[in-house]
Amino acid sequence: MASVVPRPHYPDYSTAAPVNHHFSPYADNGGSIVAIAGDDYVVIGGDTRLSTGFQIYTRQQSKLFSLSKTTVLGCAGCWCDTLTLTRLLSARMQMYEQEHNKVMSTPAAAQMLSTVLYYKRFFPYYISNMLVGLDNDGKGCVYSYDPIGHCERSNYRAGGSAGALLQPLLDNQVGMKNMQNIKDESIPLERALAIIKDVFVSAAERDIYTGDGIHINIITKDGIKSDSFPLRKD
Amino acid sequence: MFNTVDAYSAPPLWKNGPSPCAFHNFPGTNCENNDFTQHSQAPVTTATSVIAFTFNTGVIIGGDLLASYGSLARYRNCPRVMKVNDNIIMGAGGDYADFQYVKDLVDQKIIEEDCLDDGFKLKPRSLYCWLTRIMYNRRSRFDPFWNNFVVGGIQEGLPFLGTVDKLGTAYEDNAICTGYGAHLALPLIRDALEKNPLMSEEEAKALLTKCMEVLFYRDARSYPKYQIGVITDDGVKIEGPLEVSQKWDLAHMIH
Amino acid sequence: MSILTYNGSAMVAMKGDECVSIATDKRFGIQAHTVSMDFPKVFEMGPHLYLGLPGLATDIATVYEKLRFRKNLFELRENRQMSPQIFGAMVSNMLYEKRFGPFFVEPMIAGLHPQTFKPYICNMDLIGCRNEPVDFVTGGSASAQLFGMCESLWEPNMGPDDLFETTSQALVNAFDRDAISGWGATVYIIEKDKVTTRELKTRMD
Repeated sequence: MASVVPRPHYPDYSTAAPVNHHFSPYADNGGSIVAIAGDDYVVIGGDTRLSTGFQIYTRQQSKLFSLSKTTVLGCAGCWCDTLTLTRLLSARMQMYEQEHNKVMSTPAAAQMLSTVLYYKRFFPYYISNMLVGLDNDGKGCVYSYDPIGHCERSNYRAGGSAGALLQPLLDNQVGMKNMQNIKDESIPLERALAIIKDVFVSAAERDIYTGDGIHINIITKDGIKSDSFPLRKD
Repeated sequence: MFNTVDAYSAPPLWKNGPSPCAFHNFPGTNCENNDFTQHSQAPVTTATSVIAFTFNTGVIIGGDLLASYGSLARYRNCPRVMKVNDNIIMGAGGDYADFQYVKDLVDQKIIEEDCLDDGFKLKPRSLYCWLTRIMYNRRSRFDPFWNNFVVGGIQEGLPFLGTVDKLGTAYEDNAICTGYGAHLALPLIRDALEKNPLMSEEEAKALLTKCMEVLFYRDARSYPKYQIGVITDDGVKIEGPLEVSQKWDLAHMIH
Repeated sequence: MSILTYNGSAMVAMKGDECVSIATDKRFGIQAHTVSMDFPKVFEMGPHLYLGLPGLATDIATVYEKLRFRKNLFELRENRQMSPQIFGAMVSNMLYEKRFGPFFVEPMIAGLHPQTFKPYICNMDLIGCRNEPVDFVTGGSASAQLFGMCESLWEPNMGPDDLFETTSQALVNAFDRDAISGWGATVYIIEKDKVTTRELKTRMD
């Protein structure tokens, strides 16, 4: 492609009044991601609405990207950045595999994502990322990120446009926060799936950027299983 | 060229002319610092909506022939539905100059591929993905191509329809409209596709004609002459210029 | 930062079966700096009428006093109790008087009708646009978190005990995810013949 030459400015051809477009390289395309990890599994769900403002681009856009047989990335936020980041990551996964002759582990992929995000510290990828998978012991893990690469491992997380609505709910239902006389044990897979469906139904009620449907990935030692579930479409 | 005036001073005597209270600068004598890259350009000569959807055996894309200069209907024969190769058709909206530039890139790509003469032809999803990178690359340099591209084609025997905007935001769907089409035509198309998911080519053409008609009546930057591109297993057809059948005898009843 | 979230607050009101609840956090802060942990934001306006004022602390005091004055004047003039519906109309009207220089509070009202004891909740924006839903209202800097909690925990026709549990869990879990509200909570359960006030111990960080 041709290199960019500075554009000349022709005042005679600049119109005075109505054309005053300002350009923003970012767009908020919405979307929510929820992930729950257990002892031998991890589930991640993302809604399928791609939107900007009051316009819905499409109702069937999955926001989950599988990086390997045990690692899935969920992205919500600026969709053009998501496309770029996920392509970059899958290339890096392939390079690693060919250089080291093994598939990158989930914790390694998590560290790589953090580095890749921080590399663009001053022109960030505007994405709320959630990387899930099985760790080296086969235990489920959830890594969540801010747009510039801060990374935290946890057992459950909600992110994206309805993150603020859903995180306290997960604290309560999965983390058993503010409950008395409850044994602290990880929840079974069926319960995790039920919670994910329930919280997305709630989010679709109050968040206009979340809806249409959800895609769910269930990761166990046997691989990734997919599931989907309809949400309200208004 | 002339000293610009701020909001508090008297306006220029004529457009881009000298203002009564300012010094005159002769053209070509200004020694402004030109050592900058201009960020955030704005569209100049623009084309309006693109309408596209898939049907039973292929994809249909429609766009009118007008390139507007602001509110002025400046150029009235600007085709923007194009055949890329036997697999792909493409429609574009937004800045017409940017479209022509990208079109040249695409055409060159096809020529280079033909020169290889290896029997392979670019597939729609590949072009769509490549456009995504072109657009994202320019947005990252704060010098975007101010366009919406719609790519249609047949891949692995199935209709393909995808779009890329000036940021590189890209998605596939069975109905895609840009600009005012997203507000006025897309609901009509989604409704029709929901009722009749396996639309024939004739039905698809009738629906597109209806959409162009609706857009012509309500989009002030639209034009009655338009083109449609259809791709099926039988190949690519770019038809037109077609004309919106106008009916104004109801107009006096609308106040 | 919005002036509505300058002091931080979390507040929720819910409808139950022949009862309503209203609950608030107790923090008063100046942005991230916590000043006190016993700041009242819910006020008793009558035997079955409670007013919650999430928003800017200085306006909370002003709006409360102005509303108390107007309500007392109404009851002296008319010699009857104000229903929550009428009180809501009065609050809304008073806020709209200051349409172009508003008080930075988003009031919510929870109560039972003085004669019929029909549950009533409402909230409004800072210029008095009223919302009277059938389920719950939220307010303050933790309102997004509260929406998420309430949307899944609330169910129709809860008795007073269920209503208390639901309201408390919604509030406490919501403000635990908001940095500028929390530090204790007060829950009011309003029934036909009693009002129960409970102070909740919560995490203080």
